[in-house]
Amino acid sequence: MDGHDSVFSVRGLWKVFGPKAARVPGDPRLTALTTAEIRERTGCTVAVRDVSFDVRRGEVFVVMGLSGSGKSTLVRCLTRLIEPTAGELAMDGEDVLAMDPARLRELRRHRAAMVFQHFGLLPHRTVLDNVAYGLEIQGVAKGERRARAREVIAKVGLAGLEDRRPNQLSGGQQQRVGLARALAADPEVLLFDEPFSALDPLIRRDMQEEVARLHQEEGRTMVFITHDLAEALKLGDRIALMRDGAIVQLGTPEEIVTRPADDYVRDFVRDVPREQIVPVSRAMRPAIGDEADRGTVLAPDATVAEGVAAVARDGVPARIEADGVLLGVVDHTRLLAVVAGLAPDEANYADPDAGTGALAIPGMREDGVDTDAGPGADADAPKGKAATTPMDAPATGQGTDTDPVTA
Amino acid sequence: MSTVTTSRPIVDGERPPGHTDAPGRRRTRRLVRPSTPMVLLALALLLPTAALLGGGGWPQALRVDLVPALDSFADWVVDNRETHPVFLYFLLHLSNAATDSVAWVHDLLTAAGWAGVLTAATALAWYAGGAGRRGAGPALIALGSLAGCGFLGLWEQATETLALMLVSVVVAVVLGLLLGLAGGLSDTAQRILRPVLDTMQVLPSFAYLLPLVLIFGIGTPSALITTVIYAMPPMVRMTTLGLRGADPAVLEASRSLGSTSWQRLWTARLPMARPQLLLGLNQTIMMALSMVVIASVVGAGGLGESVYQALKTRDFGQGLTAGLAIVLIAVWLDRTTAAAGARGGVPVGRRGTGLVLVAAGGGLLAGSSAGGEWPEAVTVDIAAPLNTVVDWLVGNLYQDVPVLGGTSVWAGNFTSWVLNPLNNGLQALPWWSLLLLAAAVALLVGTWRGASTAVLALSCIGVLGIWDKALYTLSQVLVAVALTLLLGFAIGILAARVRTVERLLRPVFDAMQTLPQFIYLIPVVQLFNAGRVAAITAAAVYALPAVVRVTTQGLKQVSPAALEVSRSLGATTWQQIRDVQWPLARPALLVAANQGVVLVLAVVVIGGLVGGGALGFDVVKGLTAGELGTGLIAGAGIVCLGLALDKLTQPAGRPALTHHSH
Repeated sequence: MDGHDSVFSVRGLWKVFGPKAARVPGDPRLTALTTAEIRERTGCTVAVRDVSFDVRRGEVFVVMGLSGSGKSTLVRCLTRLIEPTAGELAMDGEDVLAMDPARLRELRRHRAAMVFQHFGLLPHRTVLDNVAYGLEIQGVAKGERRARAREVIAKVGLAGLEDRRPNQLSGGQQQRVGLARALAADPEVLLFDEPFSALDPLIRRDMQEEVARLHQEEGRTMVFITHDLAEALKLGDRIALMRDGAIVQLGTPEEIVTRPADDYVRDFVRDVPREQIVPVSRAMRPAIGDEADRGTVLAPDATVAEGVAAVARDGVPARIEADGVLLGVVDHTRLLAVVAGLAPDEANYADPDAGTGALAIPGMREDGVDTDAGPGADADAPKGKAATTPMDAPATGQGTDTDPVTA
Repeated sequence: MSTVTTSRPIVDGERPPGHTDAPGRRRTRRLVRPSTPMVLLALALLLPTAALLGGGGWPQALRVDLVPALDSFADWVVDNRETHPVFLYFLLHLSNAATDSVAWVHDLLTAAGWAGVLTAATALAWYAGGAGRRGAGPALIALGSLAGCGFLGLWEQATETLALMLVSVVVAVVLGLLLGLAGGLSDTAQRILRPVLDTMQVLPSFAYLLPLVLIFGIGTPSALITTVIYAMPPMVRMTTLGLRGADPAVLEASRSLGSTSWQRLWTARLPMARPQLLLGLNQTIMMALSMVVIASVVGAGGLGESVYQALKTRDFGQGLTAGLAIVLIAVWLDRTTAAAGARGGVPVGRRGTGLVLVAAGGGLLAGSSAGGEWPEAVTVDIAAPLNTVVDWLVGNLYQDVPVLGGTSVWAGNFTSWVLNPLNNGLQALPWWSLLLLAAAVALLVGTWRGASTAVLALSCIGVLGIWDKALYTLSQVLVAVALTLLLGFAIGILAARVRTVERLLRPVFDAMQTLPQFIYLIPVVQLFNAGRVAAITAAAVYALPAVVRVTTQGLKQVSPAALEVSRSLGATTWQQIRDVQWPLARPALLVAANQGVVLVLAVVVIGGLVGGGALGFDVVKGLTAGELGTGLIAGAGIVCLGLALDKLTQPAGRPALTHHSH
């Protein structure tokens, strides 16, 4: 595989808890069973189940799933905070599972830093010394590590609070300390384990924007664990959706929303405001008549929501242009079809000629979808990653756990 | 849904404490625990038959007389103490190190002079409190307490006690830390340590004086080692607790940053355990202080010696004066360590540290030039007026009180109507029926394992040939425990329901628990005459605070919701106590009973000094008259009795009880 391009490369990874856990992944009679059956048969709990994926350099890779789906175990396996039971795991092409303790510590010290749901701050230390803690472990001298810690503290917006103790900070501020501590080591990858789940919604949004901003500024690779679909869609370049320890679908937010791999995923994304996720290019058709000369000009990766706003404002279809070249237009019928989640053949387009184009929405579900956006819709939230993320990921099709690697 | 929660993944090798042995315990209990009515029925049939059959006493055939063997061993030890390699190359060094270090600290304190010690202690207390305004309280208490010792005219004795205390606390803390580290970091070590600590906690300290005296003779080493053994368990326990209680999220974060296990211990585990470590230090100091008098029996001088002498001469004034000095030292050390704990690890500023150093240094210089002796002119004699009060009390209460009769009459009646019948009844019962009774009670209260331990311990007493003496002691313990529990539960219920009572009792009980056990003996001996009644009364008074405290806590922890429900249904106060508070507080009450038993036993043994007789008397005789064989066996008997009584009152699955000194 393209080892230089992927930071983490995971193949067939298993984590099984319980007595004689190691026998489970290798036994085809057991691996054919469901997780519940395996537990009944062997007393072992399968937390991560034959998972394969690559984390590409510079992307935000989100692992999403409900509690108990194994996502937190998975992220801990990446730096062997939890020892995987079977499989292959490489970082920058180097076999992580073969590392001796010293080399592993080296990895944790310099290459991958983690942000935790419950912060894990040292209660007896000031903010400054908490942020400098990772550097202290590396053996950096006091003056230098404090100077670097101060820089990072300023970067996460905590300047002036250096001498506070964790119990004097709000939850959001504590998590900023956790973030700063991870950043202080200047790691290659940041791992987030449900970092904002313990925060209240407004603070959570602030923190999500903070992470999006950091990613935009530094382009650091991030692996982000969450159970919150809105958070996953907002931050993720690609999302791996987990259930019972296995990845059921891996793809861009758009793919997850528009082409769910199975009923489970479909159920999951049912209430997602798809106009926030799907780009206008999905609703595009060739221009007819003077449509090429009128209407607001949009980029192909503008969201359908922006298209709706433009069409509603102008009363005429909006134009889609890339580098000054007209690609097509979107009209209200096609935009509404996206919002409604209709399949192409269900949509009663005004112009039948245009409707048969290759631009019909693929993979849309047949049954009707509640067109009301879900209550979690966050209409004003900026989609910070849009600028850095090319929407070029080809459709990986269904069942990505069998072939998750998009070459 | 998977049982593995993603927010708290199960880490290999980490299991919730107690997880491993839980199923086993449950199984044994389900299998063998008989129903209460069945056991009671069996007892009701058995005991009268047993009493009718008569007999009593432990059969001669089942006894092993170890006294001659032990005596000859003791003789051998005494003969070879100077020459045998084990003594020469190990124990002698230990003994010398103990003597030298205590002497060295004593010299240091003397050289610093009273002014030096006073300023240094005050500065230290101020530093512990954060060297700011909040340090003023501890500093004043330190100053007042130590000056108080001087005013009482006991400066020299206080210095001697302090020297022994400092050395024994340092040794106990260092050893406790090491053992606690082992227990905190290794499950195997924890499994080994826990039963040992549990057993040490119920042993009357008197029991292990003799072996030490045998090896080291009467003197500083014996006193030091006794104190260390007695004071160390809380340090071990609290260290283990602190290390095991470390927030796993922090440890994982530390691990994720690439820390070595040593770095994790040093930067995360130990600092986070700071409150528990300081609490352990605090408890260790208090325990060491409570040993001051007992240590004086085996050769420690100082305040303990004053109390011990006062007990011998029945000089209550002198005894209480010295006891007061011990309490003052306890208050000082307690507040200083508590202040350090309350500070929560906030570092002291550079200016504060400098000030403290300058003050302490200046004080030490001034003190060393002024000399070590507290000026005679600045002392107050409170012994004489105290004795006048006691004499008056005794003179008016002892006998010939109209209608009531007087204390000596009470004591006589109590002995002939309660103590003697109980003792005779116990002696008359066949030995096997007592074993059965013990097994039945232990099964009803606790576990199968507890029952077998209790029976085994009682059998040991029989085999050692001290069955009759042990029963004599047991009858006193039973009466004292009944008295304590009756009073304790009554006061406890009152305190739980009436807030004012609790507030009034708290400071009194705090002081009572710090006073050495011996102090209680002096006035009761004078009131009740030397004998069993005095020992029992002293024991009941001594154990009362702990029983009241645990009872009150237990009753107050009863869920307010349950109480509210019963109130809303129109229950009377008595119904609330009987139907809601009592059953829900039952575990706490059992713990209270257990504490009562352990504490009472400790004092009843000491009561041997004032005519309590039997086992305690034998131990004292062994110490003072050189009859080591008899003394050692009596000591072993006390240990067995303590173990048996503990198991008889130890509820199943009880968490390690907090020690009585706190």
